[in-house]
Amino acid sequence: MTSSLTINEGKPIRCKAAVCRKAGEALVIEEIQVDPPQAYEVRIKILCTSLCHTDLTFWKLDSGPAARFPRILGHEAVGVVESIGENVDGFKQGDVVLPVFHPQCEDCKDCKSSKSNWCARFADDFLSNTRRYGMASRFKDSTGEDIHHFIFVSSFSEYTVVDIAHLVKISPEIPVDKAALLGCGVSTGVGAAWKVADVEEGSTVAIFGLGAVGLAVAEGARLRGASKIIGVDLNPDKFEIGKRFGITDFVNPALYKEKTISEVVKEMTKGGVDYSFECIGLASLMEEAFNSTRTGSGKTVILGMEKYKLPVSLGSYDLLRGRTICGTLFGGLKPKLDIPILVDRYLKKELNLDGFITHELSFEEINKAFNLSMEGNSIRCVLWMDK
Amino acid sequence: MENGNTSGDKSSVKPIRCKAAVSRKAGEPLIMEEIVVAPPQPYEVRIRIICTALCYSDITFWKLQVPPACFPRILGHEAIGLIPVQVEELRVVESVGENVKEVVEGDTVLPTFMSDCGDCADCKSHKSNLCSKFPFKVSPYMPRYEDSSRFTDLNGNTLFHFLNVSSFSEYTVLDVANVVKIDSSIPPSRACLLSCGVSTGVGAAWETAKVEKGSTVVIFGLGSIGLAVAEGARLCGASRIIGVDINPAKFQIGKKFGVNEFVNSKTCENKRVSEVINEMTCGGADYCFECVGSSSLVQEAYACCRKGWGKTITLGVDKPGSQICLDSFDVLHHGKTLVGSMFGGLKAKTHIPILLKYYLDNELELDKFVTHEMKFEDINDAFQLLIEGKCIRCVLWMG
Repeated sequence: MTSSLTINEGKPIRCKAAVCRKAGEALVIEEIQVDPPQAYEVRIKILCTSLCHTDLTFWKLDSGPAARFPRILGHEAVGVVESIGENVDGFKQGDVVLPVFHPQCEDCKDCKSSKSNWCARFADDFLSNTRRYGMASRFKDSTGEDIHHFIFVSSFSEYTVVDIAHLVKISPEIPVDKAALLGCGVSTGVGAAWKVADVEEGSTVAIFGLGAVGLAVAEGARLRGASKIIGVDLNPDKFEIGKRFGITDFVNPALYKEKTISEVVKEMTKGGVDYSFECIGLASLMEEAFNSTRTGSGKTVILGMEKYKLPVSLGSYDLLRGRTICGTLFGGLKPKLDIPILVDRYLKKELNLDGFITHELSFEEINKAFNLSMEGNSIRCVLWMDK
Repeated sequence: MENGNTSGDKSSVKPIRCKAAVSRKAGEPLIMEEIVVAPPQPYEVRIRIICTALCYSDITFWKLQVPPACFPRILGHEAIGLIPVQVEELRVVESVGENVKEVVEGDTVLPTFMSDCGDCADCKSHKSNLCSKFPFKVSPYMPRYEDSSRFTDLNGNTLFHFLNVSSFSEYTVLDVANVVKIDSSIPPSRACLLSCGVSTGVGAAWETAKVEKGSTVVIFGLGSIGLAVAEGARLCGASRIIGVDINPAKFQIGKKFGVNEFVNSKTCENKRVSEVINEMTCGGADYCFECVGSSSLVQEAYACCRKGWGKTITLGVDKPGSQICLDSFDVLHHGKTLVGSMFGGLKAKTHIPILLKYYLDNELELDKFVTHEMKFEDINDAFQLLIEGKCIRCVLWMG
């Protein structure tokens, strides 16, 4: 392994990548060139990557500053360090690593505080191609044209270049396909339950949207001993699936024409849940989630990304009566600190990751993975690079 | 649910005739009248008000012409009273209803609009101060008995209650869930402040926000609540307490409460207040408190609490049905928290005695809140003072 990693040090690598050239159209497997890492960067050989709904959202986006083509999507993956740039401490060739879209510079006021996972230095910018070099890209297509990165990861490629603020070293003991899940969805959900909401034993919880993030919230709440975990989803199949992750009750909004979901949840819980989580990205559901919580102590955590940027409208009297609402990226977790903890929990069999993987394909079949996700019947599809 | 009407059985059960300031029409001066106060039902006490202070919520529901405003009504909810031992014609006048164990005749008490039954899941939980046995609502009646009032005017017409207290009367009836026994040695015009305004503000800083030493705090609205938040933040060791108000006089006043920087939101040129605050604080405050009752101001406050761990706390009461609109991108990406609380998140029976102790230990300062003291009969003057923004707390003494 090591010898194959050293031969390209300092040189561009030619490899395959799934390039998005037009919004909503099938990705094209092309040969690209990946430049060597600059200072503070690491070039990684991707071992496997999974598809997250956010990839789909940006794949479909055809207007606005975030719509860029051609682009290499993908942000949930595991890789091995192939080579490192200058000023890189803590990573060496051969290390098993997780690239993460959420930054942790370890230097700013926020990174030094335990109060949040915000990184004042980097977190505001999610549109640049490289962290420290603006729109400079490490990817070139066969015509020599730059290919855009995606949220500082770009894992739909055999090789990628990642800033050290976006890289976490992990134990080589964890199966890489399980580890990849911790790059986004599962960490987001579990972190939201553990760190942001801090669900305690006996709590009641409502989860709006039972995709990977929602199921991960359920898993997190289950492990904390929540007594009631209500899953809300339009797909009735999600109940059986959800049960494996701790869902105790299921609400299908399509079956309640006269009542709002929050009314249903309040009836089920004699007044409302202790914690509600919105895991889809719809302002109307964020409002329902808010209204589903208990007067006096209810807390709502927003995890979904509103694609239309619609405002969330909250009743001032409902807020005044002791409710809390907050949003979080990456479940409030600090990647370098918390991902190794989640890996450890998995290895100690205290965290279920296996259940999230419903499909496995080879990298070349990536467009099939997109279709599976859009059909709504997969949780996580893992794409293997060398299958 | 029990009817709660006078049984008329016992020989010692007697209504009391006394003076009250009755609000008969929205926005019009209160009328000093003689009224009749029925004896307490089971779980109730009838108290004699010593003094009462005017709070802006009284003004809000005095002016309002739609429900939950109702007339004729006895307003007032910040007060201190005595459970009297009265002997008339050799019979003891009932002050303490059946089943009331926690207070007796002779006790000094604070009536609190926030119910604390001590029994329901929420009262038993440390996470909430909103009693679910007697959920908060602006009701015309006593909390425990359906459609039940203890007040009638001399024509026998019902007078409505307000916020479980109705302190603009020489006598009022309270449910035991709305009564806190306190040390009688505390000056009444100071103690009464803890039955609403000061507790709300200090509690918001201490309990809801949990302001830490060295924090940066912004307070929108320097009325009594805002000033009480400043006092609470000062006691928590906040290093910057920025007051925002449209009245420049509030800065001098605010300094006495710990406000050390001031923004006049009327003179921000073309910038929004949140922009000014974000500049002053290099990215936003640790805690922003909205103490006016305006949803658009809540949105401003949210916009200038810092990314990552910023917390915006709303205390002000806006019109019924008002909505707070947040940018969903802001909510998801920036890690801010928005929380609302009533009565500063405090449990009346647990926390009021603690605050009183802080006052007696000279840590919590209450004297500076009382800018005017008047006779109860001058209540309409007090209303004017508060409407014109010329007082913080005006305390009205019963005869």
